[in-house]
Amino acid sequence: MTIVSLANLKRLGLTLLMMGVIAIMTGSPGSSTAPPTTGVHGSFFERVSWFGLFAVQRWVLFATLGVIVWLLVSLYRPQARNIRRGVNTVLALPKSITAKRPTRIAFMVLALIVVLILPKLVHESFWMYLIVEQIGVWILLALGLNVVVGFAGLLDLGFAAFYAIGAYTTAWFTGALPMPALFHHPIPTLWVIPIGVLAAMIFGVLLGTPTLRLRGDYLAIVTLGFALIIDDFVEIQTGVTGGGIGTSSVPHPSINVGFWHLHFGISNTPYYYLCLFFIIIFIMIFTSLEHSRIGRSWVAIREDEVAAESVGINPLKYKVMAFAVGAASGGFGGVMSAGLVNIVNPSLFTYQISVNVLVLVIFGGMGSIWGVALGAIVIQTVTSYLDNYQPWGYQINDLYMYIGALLIIMMIFRPAGLLPSRRRAREFAAAEGGEEIHTDEVLSGEQP
Amino acid sequence: MNDDATIDTPPSETVMTDEPTTDLIIRAENLTLRFGGVVSLRDVSIKMRRGEILAVIGPNGAGKTSLFNSLTGVYQPQEGTITFLPRDGQPLSVIGKKAHQIARAGVSRTFQASRLFSALSVFENVKIGAEDHRGIGLVGALVKGPGTRRGEHESDKVVIELLEFVGLTKEANLIASQLSYGARRRLEIARALATDPQVILLDEPAAGTNPSEKLELAVLIRRVRDERGVSVLLIEHDMKLVMSLAERLYVLNFGSVIAEGSPVEIRSNPVVIDAYLGSSHEAATD
Repeated sequence: MTIVSLANLKRLGLTLLMMGVIAIMTGSPGSSTAPPTTGVHGSFFERVSWFGLFAVQRWVLFATLGVIVWLLVSLYRPQARNIRRGVNTVLALPKSITAKRPTRIAFMVLALIVVLILPKLVHESFWMYLIVEQIGVWILLALGLNVVVGFAGLLDLGFAAFYAIGAYTTAWFTGALPMPALFHHPIPTLWVIPIGVLAAMIFGVLLGTPTLRLRGDYLAIVTLGFALIIDDFVEIQTGVTGGGIGTSSVPHPSINVGFWHLHFGISNTPYYYLCLFFIIIFIMIFTSLEHSRIGRSWVAIREDEVAAESVGINPLKYKVMAFAVGAASGGFGGVMSAGLVNIVNPSLFTYQISVNVLVLVIFGGMGSIWGVALGAIVIQTVTSYLDNYQPWGYQINDLYMYIGALLIIMMIFRPAGLLPSRRRAREFAAAEGGEEIHTDEVLSGEQP
Repeated sequence: MNDDATIDTPPSETVMTDEPTTDLIIRAENLTLRFGGVVSLRDVSIKMRRGEILAVIGPNGAGKTSLFNSLTGVYQPQEGTITFLPRDGQPLSVIGKKAHQIARAGVSRTFQASRLFSALSVFENVKIGAEDHRGIGLVGALVKGPGTRRGEHESDKVVIELLEFVGLTKEANLIASQLSYGARRRLEIARALATDPQVILLDEPAAGTNPSEKLELAVLIRRVRDERGVSVLLIEHDMKLVMSLAERLYVLNFGSVIAEGSPVEIRSNPVVIDAYLGSSHEAATD
């Protein structure tokens, strides 16, 4: 078995170490009078309930958890290795690209049926709300950021800025802000969608054109700065944006086409289908983009910008394009969210939100559309559940500690994400096994 | 225009043979490239004729790769001019242009350390080069109209033909990083050819390959010129390969051109033997 290999035992050690750190972090806080070791001691030897079954010492609980995580990952891992070796699964010739495997189609049909009947299965309105607001909108955001981070390989730490632009555009055009609507004529929420998307896109291009000449780290700082500026601007400009309170009177969306009148009210079900409709549209657009010339150019730039330029690709143009597409879907998420909760205020667009979306993308698998969607579903479900039910003495403030630990474990075991894109998985595999690849280089040093 | 070029007086330290009034494809004049206080190229002039295999040789650090990077827009020399004279069309002033614009104009290149898209398949690597990246917008890529589809078909045809040309048809579905070193060098040539260039600049194409792969590469490089009519500019350390391939050579040392001529002339040129082979002998005895 591959489980008992030196590399894997190393991983077990790392996991247990991680669990030890988590045990200390979540343990009793200690006090200023007691020696600092008391708190650490308590973190391991306090008796706690083992999943509500029986009482054990904390270290037993965390060690078991560590072993479970390790076992799950070890059993799951061979697949990742197949990706590295699996030459034949990757078919590049034109005919093979269009040929779809029947299992994949079956899976997609099944998934479609489940998402279509989901509102019938979920009766509790809290969960419906959660599915729409905490998952639906976030899938849209994560899909958008995935284009920037996953496809084009640009680190964007200020994605919430575009989300905010979409939301505030909605509030402005529907007349919900202190500033009067354009031409003093509020328009229905759904009509704002193209405007909000366009506004975010324009900001994306304006921010991207001068800054995308910068390389990785600098770009991350610029985007971070941009998000902070937008966040501060809407908080300070009380007369324009309503300041810290924002607005809570963005109208619900409604559809009035001929005889068809549909008003979205308190019930979450119509929103669910609205969100689902747009998620499917976005997935289709992004899948199509990924396999287009533009998608290939993004991969080329991500892998080697100098080489991409040498075959005639203009890196700046494609980076700005990725940025604009990402910004557009961020703006779209903003419009949806504003129409859904009626509330727009600065606390919805903090730096934390940008990081959160990035976590979804990294966790799900950078560059993998389905992975990112799945990652958003998993993380948002778990965090919402934890926040609302607070099981096992969970505290809201600890959330990011757990997410941080989760990301570290991800990076150790599945650096390419939950459901990695094939290309990304290969890139990671190449980076990991880079030395192996170069050992067969025969240097026939026939220097003159 | 070409006549002007031949009237130019060559820089004093250059040992120029009489320049016949042939058809030029690249004309670089008095290039000086500095990085802060370090002078990488000093008053370098190169004339490349259409359809020739031209080599640039010189000891390590002589400025060969700097010259390549200047010719392809990666570096911007502070002084001098570089003109690319396409077969039909306006002469193009290279300095000030971006690397991707120069590549699209018809000057293609490979890199000293192979720079393939290593996570992509062999096929995709060439396809990225074969695709026309100029006239696509978001809408064009999304709405796959007949034009887009014809474009895909065209570039697929180019890729298949090129893979056959370099002998990588069977490896089309492999990931680039799985290829042997020699195959990777051939793939890089295929990718460079995919942009339909008039000149191809090969930066040490045989570096790191074994003797039999070297022979294959030499044959391939000659076929690039003979069968596709692409002029070849070559940097290479392997003297046997250079002397058998190149029809003309420039010798660089400390950023300056010290000699120019046919392989026979270069081999017997005392300046070259002294500066180039001599220094190498010293290095070998160190």
